[in-house]
Amino acid sequence: MIEVEALAKRYGSFTAVRNLTFSVRPGEVLGLVGPNGAGKTTTLRCLSGIIPPTSGSVRVAGHDLSADPVSAKRALAFFPDEPRLFDYLTVRQHLAFVARIYGVADHESLATPLLQELELDGKADALPGELSRGMKQKLVIACGLLHSPSVMFFDEPLTGLDPLGIRRMKDSIVRRAQAGAAIVLSSHLLHLLEEVCTNVLILKKGEKVADGTLAGVSAQFSNGEAGVSLEEIFIRATGGSEG
Amino acid sequence: MLGALLYLRLHSLRNKVVQRVLRLRQPKYLMGTAVAVAYFYFFLFRRNPAAGPSSALAAQAISGVGSVATAAICAVACAAALVRIAFAWIAPADKPGLRFSEAEIAFLFPAPITRRALIHFRLLSAQAAILFTSVLIAVFFNRSGYLGSHRAIHAVGWWIILSTFDLHMNGTNLTLSRLRETSPHFRMWRLGVVTAIVAYAAALFYSGIGRVSAYLSGPDSSQAAPEAFLRQLSESPAFHWLTLPFRIVLSPYFATGPGEFLAALAPALILLALHYHWVSSTEAHFEEGSIAMAEKRAAAREAALRGEMPKLGGSRPKARPGPFPLAAKGPPEIAFLWKNLLSMRSALFGRRALVILMMLMVWAAAAIGPLSRGGGRGGVVAPIVVVCSAMVAGYTVLLGPQIARQDLRGDLPNADILKTYPLEGWRLALGELLAPTAILTAILWCTIIACSAAVDADGAIEWLTPGIRVTVALSMASAAPFLCLIQLIVPNSIMVLLPGWYQASRSRTGGIEMFGQRLIFGVVQLFFALLVAVPAAGAAALVVFSSQWVFGIGPSVVLAALAVLAILSSEAVLGLWWLGRRFEKFDLSTESK
Ligand SMILES: Nc1ncnc2c1ncn2[C@@H]1O[C@H](COP(=O)(O)OP(=O)(O)O)[C@@H](O)[C@H]1O
Ligand SMILES: [Mg+2]
Repeated sequence: MIEVEALAKRYGSFTAVRNLTFSVRPGEVLGLVGPNGAGKTTTLRCLSGIIPPTSGSVRVAGHDLSADPVSAKRALAFFPDEPRLFDYLTVRQHLAFVARIYGVADHESLATPLLQELELDGKADALPGELSRGMKQKLVIACGLLHSPSVMFFDEPLTGLDPLGIRRMKDSIVRRAQAGAAIVLSSHLLHLLEEVCTNVLILKKGEKVADGTLAGVSAQFSNGEAGVSLEEIFIRATGGSEG
Repeated sequence: MLGALLYLRLHSLRNKVVQRVLRLRQPKYLMGTAVAVAYFYFFLFRRNPAAGPSSALAAQAISGVGSVATAAICAVACAAALVRIAFAWIAPADKPGLRFSEAEIAFLFPAPITRRALIHFRLLSAQAAILFTSVLIAVFFNRSGYLGSHRAIHAVGWWIILSTFDLHMNGTNLTLSRLRETSPHFRMWRLGVVTAIVAYAAALFYSGIGRVSAYLSGPDSSQAAPEAFLRQLSESPAFHWLTLPFRIVLSPYFATGPGEFLAALAPALILLALHYHWVSSTEAHFEEGSIAMAEKRAAAREAALRGEMPKLGGSRPKARPGPFPLAAKGPPEIAFLWKNLLSMRSALFGRRALVILMMLMVWAAAAIGPLSRGGGRGGVVAPIVVVCSAMVAGYTVLLGPQIARQDLRGDLPNADILKTYPLEGWRLALGELLAPTAILTAILWCTIIACSAAVDADGAIEWLTPGIRVTVALSMASAAPFLCLIQLIVPNSIMVLLPGWYQASRSRTGGIEMFGQRLIFGVVQLFFALLVAVPAAGAAALVVFSSQWVFGIGPSVVLAALAVLAILSSEAVLGLWWLGRRFEKFDLSTESK
């Protein structure tokens, strides 16, 4: 579903991501972890076609992102860490707009259950300015899910959510994966990895330190000790909090 | 206590200056500063001394007209101040407050500081800006040429005018919030004050209008000595006393020499002191209102950074039905048109925007009325309509793209989201540009209709038959959307190419370098307008002149229109394709760092 080959991204002379190779299959959730500034957001923006990578290739749902961006983008959804919405469009108008962009024919019948699932149905005619942060995030998700993407990228999906919101977000990510989507999310919250991700990839200063299943990565850094906490493993892997 | 606040002020100021100077190392600020300095040097400073005697002659020649013009400007400014004050009483903010920044609120409001100290802090902060502005105005707009007196006097004059107004607005706001808290008759109070203001304005108007209209309709108004008229006017007792408060505030500025200045200064300072007393002795809870104000301003600043127009209408956007029903299937470009029209409506049709528009229309009508009457012939209106619509069309083409910015520029913060859409760059660019193109085209069409109806209204030009009139109008109308589209591609390209520049030029906190940047953008826009218009106009002229002998005027105009359309549309296609390509590579985060 997602195949990344030797991805690198430079900003001027500064290399934010280098030589990153991995793949995510349908039903898998890959967690990108790493300290602040490790290159998680940069990686996700390259994967979703927002910025062109400096080198390397990305294939999304079988389409090469640089050769055929339109087909690749039709299959993916990107959820930024800050909910970005159009100030003058109501919740319902957002959905209508996105439906037209993606050519989702029966969006009315799709949107209603989606809004209900996300508990936005009472706010269908509200503008983003009247929504709480959690509700904005829900609306972003509703917009992203409208075209039933098979590949999803979440950047720090839990930022700014209350405990209940976090619970719901985790559930809905897991549900989409079970329905066959390939998902990459970035986080530095370790409990998210434990509960949601099938695989992890640890980034440090733009480079892959380790990847594999959570158990595999834990084993790699526990040096044979038993009962090493996830936090300790993370610190060992990245060598401190700031990359 | 005030020491700490002063410390905050001074150090903020110093750091701001240091930051401004340091950022000159970035080319966008350096260029902006260089252009602005050059502009001021050549157009403001150089002009006065270099012009020498001719300028002195001109000053003499206009001094008569000048004094009337100055009086008129003063009258308009005083009326504006009065309207502003009345507006504060008519529609006070939900919670009137004083102007503090969000950071100041966060640090100072919970601190153990008295309200009085806070008020003083607020006044001091304003003083910094007012002093700076006064000096700046006195330096840049040196009117010593025909007002006489010295720049220093002008600076002090400006300081008195601005400080008095600032104190008055603060006093008004504090009194309003005081009244709201304590008086059960808040509405009655407001009604009373507004009535008083209106009565005052009416009295002022009637005490002066008789003389003014007598002067204007006088036998030979242009030769009647303006000074004599002004003296007469101010000698009318009612007018004299009614304008006294304004004259006290303005007279230091207009003093022609040190003696006169000192004499004028005393009453002005007394008035200022009274205002100060009013402000500092009003016990009011302004905190809540200040917080609301600060939030509003922070939001407005953010919106400006995002490239939105300042909202003229209500402060908050309102949910509205779409401009037309948006079907789920069809070209996605239309979705952008739909979205951007939605966001445009609240910016264009706000309540206050309507009021301003109506005031402008009344003004225009008042200005045109006497002209059309004075000419005696009915045919005077038609040329005015032609000239006005030509001017509106010109402004629409040149400045419209800066005003109608509900396109890529308005969507700057959403750039990341737009780029995940499954659309080629050019389609996205086209979609985003459709809404302002539609608006500007609609305005152009109105001017074309007005112009084509009014040109040669009495039918003096023989070959301008109704058929040709309609053909020319239709040809121009069909070229209008392409012209607007191209003109809109220019600022959007600037934004995509130089987002840092663009954002910097949008921020309100700008100084001289921002002025320079805007100047550069304006010149670029003008340059492209010429670049686009000259070949098209040349081709049209060529076709018309070469083919009218063969086909007659009508068909040759159609041919010319086709040529123009071909040129403009290929330019637009090229521009869109290029803009789309650039936008695909565009990364906002790189620039804002
Ligand atoms: N547009 C940019 N220009 C220059 N440097 C950038 C840009 N975006 C990110 N960076 C740098 O790249 C590194 C990785 O950033 P990012 O991907 O945002 O990290 P993360 O999301 O893991 O915190 C950081 O050091 C950051 O400063
Ligand atoms: Mg990040």
